[in-house]
Amino acid sequence: MIRLENVTKSYSADVVAVRDAGFDIAKGEFVFLVGPSGSGKSTLLRMLNRQDRPERGAVWVAGRNIVDMPPGRVPHLRRNIGNIFQDYKLLLEKTVFENVAFAQEVIGHPKHVIKQQVPAVLELVGLAGKEDRLPHQLSGGEQQRVSVARAFVNRPLILLADEPTGNLDPATGEGIMRLLDRINKTGTTVVMATHDQRIVNTMRKRVIQLDRGVIVRDQARGVYE
Amino acid sequence: MLSRLRYIFRETFDSFRRNATLTMAAIITAAISLLGVGLTLLSQQGFDNLLSKWEGGVEMIIFVNAGATADQLGVIDTALGNAGTFVQDFTYCDAPCSLGEAQIVLAGEPGTLALLGLNNIPTQYKVVPTEGTDVELLRQLEGAFAELPNVFNVQFAEDQISLIGQLQDFFGFRLLLLTIFLLLAAILLIWNTVRTAIFARRREIEVMKLVGATDWFIRVPFMLEGLLHGIIGGVLASGGLWAWNSQWTSGVGEFPEGSGFAALVVTDGYDKQVMLIMLIIGAAAGAIGSGIAASRFLDV
Repeated sequence: MIRLENVTKSYSADVVAVRDAGFDIAKGEFVFLVGPSGSGKSTLLRMLNRQDRPERGAVWVAGRNIVDMPPGRVPHLRRNIGNIFQDYKLLLEKTVFENVAFAQEVIGHPKHVIKQQVPAVLELVGLAGKEDRLPHQLSGGEQQRVSVARAFVNRPLILLADEPTGNLDPATGEGIMRLLDRINKTGTTVVMATHDQRIVNTMRKRVIQLDRGVIVRDQARGVYE
Repeated sequence: MLSRLRYIFRETFDSFRRNATLTMAAIITAAISLLGVGLTLLSQQGFDNLLSKWEGGVEMIIFVNAGATADQLGVIDTALGNAGTFVQDFTYCDAPCSLGEAQIVLAGEPGTLALLGLNNIPTQYKVVPTEGTDVELLRQLEGAFAELPNVFNVQFAEDQISLIGQLQDFFGFRLLLLTIFLLLAAILLIWNTVRTAIFARRREIEVMKLVGATDWFIRVPFMLEGLLHGIIGGVLASGGLWAWNSQWTSGVGEFPEGSGFAALVVTDGYDKQVMLIMLIIGAAAGAIGSGIAASRFLDV
């Protein structure tokens, strides 16, 4: 599903975010990217949905090298990738329903499909009955659930999560992880960048560890070191 | 398709609402600059009306009293024919032709116009001099032509054109310059309004891009917003132009007859054409301003 070949990305001559990185992620895998701040986790995620491009190397997603993908094709790539962020990135003046529906609306799904699929995904993330609330009327955990619902509503092949539990207390974070695990079990590949040692150690999924842009460990059913 | 259209219009009007002050400023600036365009075009048309009888290189007009006989007209024809050294060409504008011209030149003096008819309007010989013939030379012939039977008077283009031409050039150029600056200001203001709208919605745009919306899908509501600024500005300017022209037309009617301002009244639906031009320019200015902004600032 995802393959990186000798990928290097730098932001300036002195700042190399990712250096000569390479790995394969199979369809349906759950992978943690771990490492200290500035180790290149977020840069790796940004390269997977073509927000960033590497100077060198190839990034294969769903069978296509996306490094030289024409800009016009990028939106179609992104329709197969869901994104979850630490700060949720919800639209504050839209309701829960509208936030999730927005992801379908902007890629042209008809209204009847939206009306059918959004409640189903809100049910899945445990937000049934809160469709009409605004983000500020929700707890942090609930806001992150909206973000997960928005990322998953288009049934992406890949889910990229950048510190999704970073702003949440441990109990709420565990709830989000259970949700991501459920989504992963539907066949969606999940790649999650995190600092959260407890979560990584509890889940025992594959761990790719970065240090100053270099992959220093790639371990199946790994723990945080 | 329908859901996309619904989305585009909803987002456009949401943006109007959120950006109300800047939107108003952009529309008002567009309206004022377009009104400048309209007034320039109308005044130019007014001056053109004033000079219409001198079109085609005519430098001298011999006005002949109504009721001149064919023999008397023949005498004038012969006299002009004999002045071949100075006269390249001449045409006779008979009563219907002169009445048609009067309807343009005296559009603002309906009282005078009502008194004129085919039976009492002076007819005209319009004289085009040969190349190189000085107007002063023609003036020397004035006396000879004025003494011909039933000649009412002889007029020279130079006497009217020089002043009117100077006025036309003076106002035309300066109004055009002012209008260009105002239009530029309108485009910049629309550009800035759309840029601000994009900035205000940067979070939405980021989400849209991440879920796979195409750049065009994101751009279109912003471009439509700018287009509407221009079109609404054009509509307001058209209303302003209509009010201005109505006031001017009724105002000119109260000027002393023969003051010359009557010809500055624009008739024949030209004002409607100008309104259409203003709408088109407004739409173009809006599309340019918003198009540039939407293309340039989408990477938020």
